[in-house]
Amino acid sequence: MTAVEIFSKPVRPGAIVALLLAVLTLSGCGINAIPTYEEQAKAAWSQVLNQYQRRADLIPNLIETVKGYAAQEKDVLTSVVDARAKATSVQIPSDVLTNPQAFETFQQNQSALTSALTRLLAVSEAYPDLKSNQNFLALQSQLEGTENRIAVARRDYIEAVRKYNTELKTIPGRWWASWFYPEAKPMQTFTIDAQSREVPKVNFD
Amino acid sequence: MMARFPLLYGNLLCLLLALLLAAAPLSGARAQDIPRLTERVMDTAGILPDGVKSRLIAQLAAFEDKSSDQLVVATIPTTGDWTIEHYANLMFRRWGLGQAEENNGVLLLVAVNDRKLRIEVGYGLEGTLTDALSKLIIDETIVPEFRAGDFPAGIQAGVDNIIAVLEGDAAEMQARAERNERWIEPDDLIAIGFFSLFGLFFGGMIIFSILATIFGKKIAPGRYKWLGVQVSVSSSGGSSGSRSSGWSSSSSGGFSGGGGSSGGGGASGSW
Repeated sequence: MTAVEIFSKPVRPGAIVALLLAVLTLSGCGINAIPTYEEQAKAAWSQVLNQYQRRADLIPNLIETVKGYAAQEKDVLTSVVDARAKATSVQIPSDVLTNPQAFETFQQNQSALTSALTRLLAVSEAYPDLKSNQNFLALQSQLEGTENRIAVARRDYIEAVRKYNTELKTIPGRWWASWFYPEAKPMQTFTIDAQSREVPKVNFD
Repeated sequence: MMARFPLLYGNLLCLLLALLLAAAPLSGARAQDIPRLTERVMDTAGILPDGVKSRLIAQLAAFEDKSSDQLVVATIPTTGDWTIEHYANLMFRRWGLGQAEENNGVLLLVAVNDRKLRIEVGYGLEGTLTDALSKLIIDETIVPEFRAGDFPAGIQAGVDNIIAVLEGDAAEMQARAERNERWIEPDDLIAIGFFSLFGLFFGGMIIFSILATIFGKKIAPGRYKWLGVQVSVSSSGGSSGSRSSGWSSSSSGGFSGGGGSSGGGGASGSW
C-alpha cells in the first residue's frame, strides 16, 4: 500500500530519521572535511606539477633558438640543459607531499632550473639579433606566462595545504583525524627562497 | 522498541555549534583595495573620457551577447606592494570574470602610475588568446599609444585586438556561446528527477510516521497502526535541524562576473 510495506518487518521510521540526522549532523561537524581538503590540496599539487612540466617542455625549443644566435654562451646553455635534466629525471616519490626531504629536493631542483633560465634570459639581452627574433620573442612570452602560472599554482597549493593542515590541527578536525583518519599527515608547503624574496635594486649611478 | 541514541543529542549540539561557528564573520579577506565590479569598464584611475567609456561598455556588452566571453577593462592608479601579475590574478578571481563553466573571461588591467599593464586570460581562453598573442597585443598596439600619452586610444586598440583574436576562432566561439545558452542540461534533469523521487520516498516515510502517531490507533507504547501499516516510534523527541544556507545575492543592479577563474595566463608589459 505504501512504501513502508516493502519491508517484511514493521519498519521503524525512527531509525531512518535517526540515521538521516546522524549523517546530517556528522557532515555538519566536518567529518568529511579532512578527505575533502586533502583532495583539494592534491588537485592543487597536480596543477603545480602540470605547470612545471609545461615549463620543462618549452626549454628544448628555447635552447635551439638561443643556440642559433649565441652559441658562445655555452656555459649558460649547458647549465639550463643540466638543470632541466635534473628536475625532470628525478622520480618524484608518491609520498612527496608528506615527506619533507623529497619535497625539499623537488623544490631545490625546480628553483635551480628557475635561476638557470633567468641567467639565460639575462645573457640573451646582449644579442640584438636574438632579441628581435620572432620565435624567441614568442618563446620568451610563453616562458614568462608559464612562470606566472607556476606562481599562481604554487599560491593555490599553499592555500589548499594551509586549509588542510589547519583542519588537522584544530579541534573538530583533530578528533576526526584521530578517530577516522589516523593515516592523515600534514602536508609540506613551499617556502619562498631567500633569493626571490630579495627585491632587485636598480642603481642609476 | 528502538535503542536510544545517546550520541544523537551530542550530534545535535555539535550541529548547533557548527552553525554558530559558520555564522561568525569570515575573517582573512585580503580586501586590499580591489574595487567592486559594477561595470565593464572600471576606470578607477580616471583616464577615460565619458564618451569613450560608454562606447567601450557598449562594445564589450555586444561582444558578450554574441560570444558569452566577458572582457573587462580596469584602470587603477597603482598595484601597491603587489606585482601587476599578482594583482591582476586576484582581481580576476575576485570579480569572477567569464562564465563559471567556461572560464572565458579576459581582464585588461592598466596601473597608470606604475606604467604597467596586463592582459589576464581565463583558463578557458588560454588556447585562443595565448600568452604570445597577448604579449603581441600589448607591445604592438597598446604600448605605442600609451607612450604617446594617449590612454583612450591605447585601450581602444587593445580591446579591438583582443576581440579580433577571440572572434578569429569563430567556430569555437560559436560553440561556447551555444553551450551557455542552454539553461538546464538533460543530465541535470535526470539528477533533479532522481533526487525529487528520493526526497519524496524518505520524506513520505517520515511524514507517514508522524501522521500515524496522530491519526493512527495506538497498539502498544510507541507503536501505532494506521491505514493498515504498523509504525514504531522511539520516544526521543523528533527535532529536525533545518539548515538554511543563506546565500546573499549581491547583484547591485549593475554588471557582475559569471564566476570564472584564471590560472595566470596572459602577458604583462610596461611603457
